[in-house]
Amino acid sequence: MSQEPIKLGKRESKLRVDPKWADVCLTCGTCAGGCPVTGVDGMDPRKAVRMAALGLDDELINSRFPWVCTLCGRCERACPMGVEILAMMRTARGLRERDKVPGPIHKGTMMSMERGNNLGIPYDDWLFLLADMSKEMEDEGFPGFYVPVDKVGARVISTVNSKEPFGEPDDMKFWWKIYYAAHESWTVSSENWEGVTWGLFGGDDESMKEQARRVLENARKVKAEVLLLPE
Amino acid sequence: MNIFELMMEYIKEGRVKIDREKFAGKLATVHDPCNYGRKSEKAFGKAYYDEIRWITDQICDTWVDTYPTRENNFCCGAGGGAWAMPYTNERLYYGRKKAEQIEQTGAEIVVAPCHNCRDQIMKALTKEYDLEIETFYLWELLAEAIIVEPWSEEEVEKAHAEAEAQWEHFGVELDDDWEPPE
Repeated sequence: MSQEPIKLGKRESKLRVDPKWADVCLTCGTCAGGCPVTGVDGMDPRKAVRMAALGLDDELINSRFPWVCTLCGRCERACPMGVEILAMMRTARGLRERDKVPGPIHKGTMMSMERGNNLGIPYDDWLFLLADMSKEMEDEGFPGFYVPVDKVGARVISTVNSKEPFGEPDDMKFWWKIYYAAHESWTVSSENWEGVTWGLFGGDDESMKEQARRVLENARKVKAEVLLLPE
Repeated sequence: MNIFELMMEYIKEGRVKIDREKFAGKLATVHDPCNYGRKSEKAFGKAYYDEIRWITDQICDTWVDTYPTRENNFCCGAGGGAWAMPYTNERLYYGRKKAEQIEQTGAEIVVAPCHNCRDQIMKALTKEYDLEIETFYLWELLAEAIIVEPWSEEEVEKAHAEAEAQWEHFGVELDDDWEPPE
């Protein structure tokens, strides 16, 4: 049976893993020993590194492991040889075909690119929600409270995690109460206010950059001194 | 600036006043999110461990660390987008380490400075591992403990005028029977 040999090298490897990794990684298993998902699917970080070093790129990219891994970084922190396990795992995620990215991670990233937030909350609904909740806050003992939107000259501009306006709007009030008590001059944006970057999890650098650019553009527009991402 | 620096600024400058009675007698513990710890250190050269503890210390009389802690702390199990992904059983299995750590402290309050971590601990681990805890965002803990003094009449009037102009500018009209969108 003839089978083409797997070529190893930075150029051939999709994961851009240098063959010297096979020697750098001592296979000591410190990474695997401290990883809470070791054993799931018979995998662990040590095996993932070995797969990459041996050129089994597609097997790793198409496995669940890079997604079951939470990219927490305990493995890399513990590694005595400084193997960059996290970067490898995220690269593997990024190489997954986009329509095969698990869950809403990729769809949310595309939604964010298209509509300015991961969950697709429309512009009008966002503003209505803020206006309505501003009234609620006044009734709850914060006279004079309102959510300043696109307020030029505000010191602090804050992004918002879209799950809050979508499903848990009252959770936005925690920061609002703090701002009220501190007499802060603050604002949120009418558009592109999303603070959660799913491109980070999906390995999508381009979308990540675009989202950061939009957030910075909003901050510059209102001349804010402080950009807060309350994640 | 990040959430820790802003909250610390408000507390240190006396811009917010804290009612230490609010959580008196309740033992708290803190969770170190990977993104503010290991990953922040790697990306920006600075991890945020002391800050979480300093703020908690301003609000709670008694708190204890988990073991292991800080750079060796366990992930809640929902990092890297796992909260949104379909691997629920794997996520709960992953979280057993965090649940064990929390249980061992005997704490009633868990302070989580991250959305994902809070959701995983509050909505998943508490139920799955029968934890007797209440979970708070770090900023929620502060918001709950703040002594709020209503603004002066002058400030309120100014804010009303600004708010009115703003909502008019955006064309937002609130009807009495309007309900927030689902």
